[in-house]
Amino acid sequence: MAEKILTRNFHLPGSHTLALYRETGGYAGLEKALAMKPAEITEAVKRSNLRGLGGAGFPTGVKWGFLPKGHPGPIYLVINADEGEPGTFKDRYLLEKDPHALLEGMIISAYAIGAHVAFVYIRGEYVQPWRIFSRAVAEAYEAGLLGKNIGSSGFDLDVIVHRGAGAYICGEETGLISSLEGKKGWPKLKPPFPAIRGAFGAPTIVNNVETICHVPHIVRRGAEWFASLGTKTQGGTRLYSVSGHVERPGVYELPVSVTLRELVYEHAGGVPHGKRLKAVVPGGSSAALLTADEIDVTLDVDGLRNAGTMAGSAGVIVMDETVSIPEALMVVARFYAHESCGQCTPCRESTGWIYKMTRRIIEGRGRKEDLDTILDVARRGAGTTICAFFDGAVGPYISYIEKFRHEFEALISK
Amino acid sequence: MVKLTIDGKEVEVREGTNIIEAARRLGIEVPHYCYHPGLSIAGQCRLCMVELGNNPRPQIGCNTQVAEGMVVRTDTPKVLETRQSIMEFHLINHPLDCPVCDQAGECWLQIYYMKHGLYEPRMVDEKVHKPKAVPLGSHVILDAERCILCSRCVRFCDEITGTGELGIFDRGDHSEIGLFPGRELANPYSANVIDICPVGALTDRDFRFAVRVWYLDTAKSICPGCSRGCNIEVHVNVRRPHHNQGRRVARLKPRFNAEVNRWWICDAGRYGGKFVDDASRLGAPARGRGEAAIEVGWEEMIPLIASQLRRYRPDEIGVLASPNMANEDLFLLRRLVDHLRLIHVDFRVPPRTPGDEDRILIKADKNANTRGAELIGLGPRPGGLDAHGMLRAARERRIKCLWVFHHDLLASAWPEAEVGEALRAVECFIYQGSNSNGVSTAAHYVLPSAAWVERDGTFTNFEGRVQRFWKAVDPLGLSLADWEILGRIGEAFGLGAPPARAEDCFKALAASAAPFAGLSYRELKDTGKVVAA
Amino acid sequence: MNARGAVKVEFTPEQLVEVRRLQGLYPDRRAALLPVLQLVQDVFGHISLEAEEYVAGLFDLSPAHVHEVVTFYTLFFREPKGRHVISVCHNLTCHLLGAQQVLTHLKKRLGVEVGGTTPDGRVTLLSVECLCACEIAPMLQVDDRYEGNLSGEKVDRILDGLA
Ligand SMILES: Cc1cc2nc3c(=O)[nH]c(=O)nc-3n(C[C@H](O)[C@H](O)[C@H](O)COP(=O)(O)O)c2cc1C
Ligand code: SF4
Ligand code: SF4
Ligand code: FES
Ligand code: FES
Repeated sequence: MAEKILTRNFHLPGSHTLALYRETGGYAGLEKALAMKPAEITEAVKRSNLRGLGGAGFPTGVKWGFLPKGHPGPIYLVINADEGEPGTFKDRYLLEKDPHALLEGMIISAYAIGAHVAFVYIRGEYVQPWRIFSRAVAEAYEAGLLGKNIGSSGFDLDVIVHRGAGAYICGEETGLISSLEGKKGWPKLKPPFPAIRGAFGAPTIVNNVETICHVPHIVRRGAEWFASLGTKTQGGTRLYSVSGHVERPGVYELPVSVTLRELVYEHAGGVPHGKRLKAVVPGGSSAALLTADEIDVTLDVDGLRNAGTMAGSAGVIVMDETVSIPEALMVVARFYAHESCGQCTPCRESTGWIYKMTRRIIEGRGRKEDLDTILDVARRGAGTTICAFFDGAVGPYISYIEKFRHEFEALISK
Repeated sequence: MVKLTIDGKEVEVREGTNIIEAARRLGIEVPHYCYHPGLSIAGQCRLCMVELGNNPRPQIGCNTQVAEGMVVRTDTPKVLETRQSIMEFHLINHPLDCPVCDQAGECWLQIYYMKHGLYEPRMVDEKVHKPKAVPLGSHVILDAERCILCSRCVRFCDEITGTGELGIFDRGDHSEIGLFPGRELANPYSANVIDICPVGALTDRDFRFAVRVWYLDTAKSICPGCSRGCNIEVHVNVRRPHHNQGRRVARLKPRFNAEVNRWWICDAGRYGGKFVDDASRLGAPARGRGEAAIEVGWEEMIPLIASQLRRYRPDEIGVLASPNMANEDLFLLRRLVDHLRLIHVDFRVPPRTPGDEDRILIKADKNANTRGAELIGLGPRPGGLDAHGMLRAARERRIKCLWVFHHDLLASAWPEAEVGEALRAVECFIYQGSNSNGVSTAAHYVLPSAAWVERDGTFTNFEGRVQRFWKAVDPLGLSLADWEILGRIGEAFGLGAPPARAEDCFKALAASAAPFAGLSYRELKDTGKVVAA
Repeated sequence: MNARGAVKVEFTPEQLVEVRRLQGLYPDRRAALLPVLQLVQDVFGHISLEAEEYVAGLFDLSPAHVHEVVTFYTLFFREPKGRHVISVCHNLTCHLLGAQQVLTHLKKRLGVEVGGTTPDGRVTLLSVECLCACEIAPMLQVDDRYEGNLSGEKVDRILDGLA
């Protein structure tokens, strides 16, 4: 059994309290970090091969390195806790079960990048996680772990917990920034990238909850140790959210070198009721679907990219043989039509259009041309939009049809 | 400066320029909807895709600033295919109701579809329905189904007027442009959103179903609505006179001038041209008051006016010029005044209510050429009376002949009774102007002037910028440009043959008035020149 | 009641203190717009047009810009809602594991369609995208709480627990 790092305390009652966190070695990384130079921490994070776990898989230390050097004004750290990718729920566990791990990671990361204010953007539906996390923030202030002169280091940090109001697109980092600024969650044009001009016009680093939770361990146990847990290009473990047709749905912490087959069959107990596996979505709904024959892939960013899909948010949705893929695509297309922010034309128009086509197919009014139209519209729209939302929708549009075309055709010819 | 290559051609532009503008410099059009040079970059329409260097993925030109050595292509198969796709996305929920759309003929959906679209339509599903024919205010009407959500109108209200009336509500393909429920689009520049709307979503209530735009002719002009002198285009309908209830001036549109009004004009100016085709226009010279008035030809009128002016001593004559007359008119008037040695000359009449003014364009002085009148020198001569003094002198019968240009003195700040008494008291009251008004009916002689769109000329704006306007339609009836009338009267006094063209008047002005020295019509070009300090 | 027939929207002095505190928390006070709208909804039950205008005044924003925000997010209610809100997840995993049956059951029990509120004002029923608790699919959110591994009986028990 691989070592559990982020989830090691999940089973302990009171895992969300400062007392228990400290008892189990919490805030030791912070102590060590505050004695280091900020640049040394960024360097360690680079060497650790930590890659963003929110979806894009971008190397975290490299991102931090994009901040302007010697910036005179404020720099912000923003934690993306807007978990919304269908099939993903690991950040909810982290917020509820180990909020101090996130706080410790935030303090170290803020110290590393020179931020004195950090925001945590929690999706509005997450009421319980928000309450628990807010309590942890209060505890940390009382214990002198936040506020002025943290641990007599001279470093100051304030944490502001901000709640979303229901919009998947606010998980996209610039949509999140717009929302944090009190606007609708329209993603921003890049360039400029947030590291240059982000929240409130200041250089900003946006990182996922889980990404930041890893930071104290990297500091405490060393970048090389972290890197050695994973593959050549991605260090550490990550939390896989497994749901759907498996015996034991839940969050699994595993090295990123684990294969999808191992995750589904060994860890999550396989497909229940003796049913056969049909397909797996490996990285949240925006990842292309893999068929039952395609699951011998490692679940790291590059492994899945080479398999023509993506690690995304590591939300693994398992479908057994009874699932109608056209119906599944209709459900997914409905989601993208509903969540498109509407700002840019290709995404706004084609998510709605494609949903209408999939619905028509399910209702038995499909036309022969529909499948090619969907594929063509998806391909032509890909890469033309303001943010990666539409490219995320393209993953399922294309893979569901290409890999299960016969199921669609059967519905159309009926 | 930055040097780059676009479609194999080299161009040098200022740092910070985007690809759309750099390409424009080379005469290469990068199609776009949401980009507008006067507004922030939104990057929403995604039509302005170009290829940069070896990047296989087209990027938007509006949000890409030029860089030294950059290689841009606007004509690769990938770019053309992307444009075509984006055009299709723009049109799938569009109602395609061009036959009943006022924008037809100047709609960028139509234009770009022909150039960059031309795909086989394949959308068979129910389109998204949104509100149609919604008045947003007194000038603008919205068809939300035609809107392509480029957000130009929203940015205009946010960034130019700062009034923020418009928003894009909801999300996804239900996103909808609109006002806060119950509010109006009522800022003084509201109708500019019609001009910048690239499609038929925002149209002009005043122009609704009036004339098809392809029947319109255009002339460059200057708005006479205030002393800013915004550059405009006059769109006239002379080819289909039975359309638009005989209104020849169909609409006024802003014309770009970086130094004056950029892309904008105010609503007051835009809709201020109505007087040109109004029933109150004076169409023929007339003599005799009220019922007794009879129309006469100019051959008869000019000698009559000359003989009246001869009948009185110079100090018995008052001349009230108008700061709405062109420089050419004012110059010939000045020449006549000097020749007759008149001393009571003025052009300033205080308005009843002070004009509104803002920090955008609108000036409190609602006259087009106050600065011109000042520079040409139409104030009281030594020992002469100003306008108010002239009226008092008229009441006291010291001034016996009064020549008023354009002013409606009854709408001035002066008490109506005083004005009325003065006009009744003079023996000879000459009114020269384009429209009848409260005082013209009291005149013994009425000289009908051509409106500014019916002639050439120049105005000098508040900062001393001399700007040309061009004739757009023929003068109504027998009316003549003020300079023509004054030229003919001058001839009667032996001042030589009247100038043939407005340009001749301007030449003479430039030759005799120092501030105008060195200026000429050719020199003024389309955007004008500031007079010497 | 005012001209539009709605309840007058105005914060108490204490609530206004909270508004100012929220506005002071961020580098730009506009950032407090979402929290303040949440406060409006907590206090008045929903966000009426009057409330939007009132909030616009508190932020010196145009009402259209507040309206943009209110119409963008799904958690802002523009009409009065029931005392309880039940949101059934209909996204992929829940769909695979029976979200439709849960929804059908609820519609029947409550006698309302999706988006509707029971005549007694007790429950508003919604059908929503992934609530990110797919491990307990099919699941729903009732007010602040997540409830998962739903069956007909479990849904009935949840309903019975609502005042
Ligand atoms: C449509 C869309 C939705 C996203 N949703 C989330 C999300 O819910 N949580 C998250 O952490 N990142 C999400 N992301 C990724 C973020 O944009 C961003 O890459 C991430 O927060 C950066 O943090 P990381 O580098 O630590 O992963 C989303 C991206 C897109 C395009
Ligand atoms: S791609 Fe979609 S979600 Fe992203 S900005 Fe464009 S419309 Fe919005
Ligand atoms: S109404 Fe016109 S200007 Fe405004 S967003 Fe729509 S298309 Fe653009
Ligand atoms: S003009 Fe560039 S995206 Fe619209
Ligand atoms: S699909 Fe229902 S909670 Fe994720």
